[in-house]
Amino acid sequence: MTKGYARFLTVLFCLFLGGLMVWQLFLPDRERSDVENRTLQQRPALTLSGVLDGSYMEDVESYVQDQFPLRDQWTGLKARTEQLIGKRLFNNIYLCEGETLISKVDAPADGLEKANLNDVSQLAEKTDIPVYLGLIPSAAKVWRDKLPEGAESWDQNAYLRQAADTGLPLIDFSAALTAHAGEPIFYRTDHHWTSLGAFYGANALLEALGREPLKRESFTPEIASTSFNGTLYSQSGIHWLTPDTMEFWVKEDGLTVTSWRTGSPEPGALYDRSYLTEKDKYASFLGGNQPLCVIRNENARDGGKLLLIRDSYSDALAPFLAQSFAEVHLLDPRYYRMPPAQYAAENGIDAICVVYSVPNFITDRNLVFLGQ
Amino acid sequence: MVFSSLTFLFLYLPLTLLVYFLSPLRWRNFVLLVVSLLFYGWGEPVYIVIMFLSIIIDYTHGLLVEKYRSNDKKARWFVAQSVIFNLALLFFFKYGTFFAENLYALTGILIPKSVELLGVTIPLWGVPLPIGISFYTFQTMSYTIDVYRKDAPVQRNMVEFGTFVTMFPQLIAGPIVQYKTVAADLRHRLHTSENFALGARRFCVGLAKKVLLANSIGALWEECLAAQGAGTLTVLGGWLGLAAYGFQIYFDFSGYSDMAIGLGRIFGFRFNENFDHPYCADSVGTFWRRWHMSLTSWFRDYLYIPLGGNRGGTARTIRNLLIVWFCTGFWHGASWNFILWGLYFAAWLILERYVLRGVLEKTPAVIKHLYTLIVVFVGWGLFAMVDLGVCGDYLAACFGGAPLWSGADLFRLRSYAVTLAVLVLASTALGQRLWAKLPRRAEQLATPVLMGLSLVVCTAYLVDGSYNPFLYFRF
Repeated sequence: MTKGYARFLTVLFCLFLGGLMVWQLFLPDRERSDVENRTLQQRPALTLSGVLDGSYMEDVESYVQDQFPLRDQWTGLKARTEQLIGKRLFNNIYLCEGETLISKVDAPADGLEKANLNDVSQLAEKTDIPVYLGLIPSAAKVWRDKLPEGAESWDQNAYLRQAADTGLPLIDFSAALTAHAGEPIFYRTDHHWTSLGAFYGANALLEALGREPLKRESFTPEIASTSFNGTLYSQSGIHWLTPDTMEFWVKEDGLTVTSWRTGSPEPGALYDRSYLTEKDKYASFLGGNQPLCVIRNENARDGGKLLLIRDSYSDALAPFLAQSFAEVHLLDPRYYRMPPAQYAAENGIDAICVVYSVPNFITDRNLVFLGQ
Repeated sequence: MVFSSLTFLFLYLPLTLLVYFLSPLRWRNFVLLVVSLLFYGWGEPVYIVIMFLSIIIDYTHGLLVEKYRSNDKKARWFVAQSVIFNLALLFFFKYGTFFAENLYALTGILIPKSVELLGVTIPLWGVPLPIGISFYTFQTMSYTIDVYRKDAPVQRNMVEFGTFVTMFPQLIAGPIVQYKTVAADLRHRLHTSENFALGARRFCVGLAKKVLLANSIGALWEECLAAQGAGTLTVLGGWLGLAAYGFQIYFDFSGYSDMAIGLGRIFGFRFNENFDHPYCADSVGTFWRRWHMSLTSWFRDYLYIPLGGNRGGTARTIRNLLIVWFCTGFWHGASWNFILWGLYFAAWLILERYVLRGVLEKTPAVIKHLYTLIVVFVGWGLFAMVDLGVCGDYLAACFGGAPLWSGADLFRLRSYAVTLAVLVLASTALGQRLWAKLPRRAEQLATPVLMGLSLVVCTAYLVDGSYNPFLYFRF
């Protein structure tokens, strides 16, 4: 090895390591990552106690990781490389045909799936108001055919049969979605259902409660966004797919939305369009996560008051239900800690529907509050 | 801190190189000592104390052995003191929990986790393991023994000795550097651009082995183990999992050794090689002469030969082999499966020595390779599964106690086909042989391209960082 060549290799090596170090040093720190949907670690302050208990070092490690230059591009490069060598599972997300990402469902831990069914049964025992259980199978089940050959996912069908054994009246989302599996009922880059999927879901719910289904012709979808990159996009690192299109079907006229975000009622919106310019566009439905939300419709077709105990799938579902019900109350047990049975009694609720997507239902640790 | 982390690559290493090479020559050992202590204290600052204790005690014992050289009885006593100290350190931190738990399980005697003495809480067991303790206690133990045996000169400079003990390239995962191999380098070593370039190249190779190969295939092993838990493991899946684990541990560990050797070279040190294509071995005996060579030779030099080696007849040799392999297994971890793993190899080595030798000589090479691989990879099953019940079920599935294959296996095979092919090729000497045949110009062109590619792709994987466990941390 000549001296010149050795120097060249040395410089190459040092330039790469040192260059990225200096780049990071001068790069302004980012507050949060929209792609990953979380706040990022800021430059930690050096304190003696932080050094002694090791928290300073941990913070430095996450700081270097979080503020690394071109972070999203590196992640994309990794995903590309993996795809090139034949991988189809990216951070627990399958890359499927038709530019579709589908989240793998893992087996639940600690028997949570049984305990949660039991919690719903307890709620039904606590109240005289009819309690319906509606579990929404995820794309991994409804779009099973799109998964790569032999791709594993936890058996949601078997679980739905277990849910039937509780004896609770059921809302058959599974049949409704499977009948339309050929249509875009889930987003390709997000784990939620689309407005179309929610429309079929709403009719399944109305049918279970003995009401007339809604007619598709009575809606004229508004295209809210054509650049929606959802949660699966972020989690998988696969950033080269065509973004999703998001639609608003239900008109806002005649609907009043009240949100309890801080403990007291505030006027809300059916669609918070400010989210459409952000990464988390799905949050434009009802303005995203909140403990309690009520939609009132003075011109409701059938009337009555419905309580939804729910996850985020109901944000897209509730506008449809408000076509039939005079009041739709949405209660999220992750944030709302009053006993739901008491809430239903105080508000003159006619029917309670516990509506969850299967992956959320089998992992949620807050359903124990239902039986209170 | 591990080498395959962004903090090491893009903060610690560039700063260390900068400070080190800007320092005048006579300061460089001291710089290396300081940055190594920083490296060590990064994860568990309190344990720097153990490091200091280790340095001081072994340093003084080296001097004492030298001083009382004429009085052999005294000299031996000081060697024994140093060995006892190092083993006690290892025992307390690494094996305390194992012994306390097994004592309780066997006799019902419960040793309290800590005692109060004059208002100070003194832990008795269950303390977290200081990283690399298995490696550096062995290194320092070898020092006093080497001084006594006159295999190495005594070190009078405490900074130089401290540098040897703490040297960050090999501190936490080996190779186990015996004092005699670096004694001369500590005093005087060459800092040339050629050393730097060769070291950097070696480091890039190791980084790619660890980040791209070991981590990727590790995910396959996790999947197969999860399938075992869910009761869906098949024969094919079982062997796929064992292969995945075997590749993971080899590329993880040998990659780490490559990085250590490379970093050492950058600073002007020559460490011994630690691996020599072990999966190409054609007997269990050869496998162990090619796998983790620094550990095997340590046990040979400091345990097997002092016990008498193979010079005392059949019964003696078998006893010595059993002792050495019990210790080798136990060194790898404080639980029964590691002991079993060590004894499993002792059994095969004894079998090879006394029964199979004649048979193997007449066996075609392919069959010998296959036999070795099966023995070694089944061994990895013992190594990987601490719960012996799980381990038994898993191996039973591999040997026919399950359906032959499933759709999920095919998905896995397809997902990992390229990775597995690369792993098989990289386990052989083929790549190196072809590399040596390259014309000079082609080699000069390929080297920077491959180094750059390794750095870029590894960075991408590390930034993504969802899966970067380090297997040899437990040791």
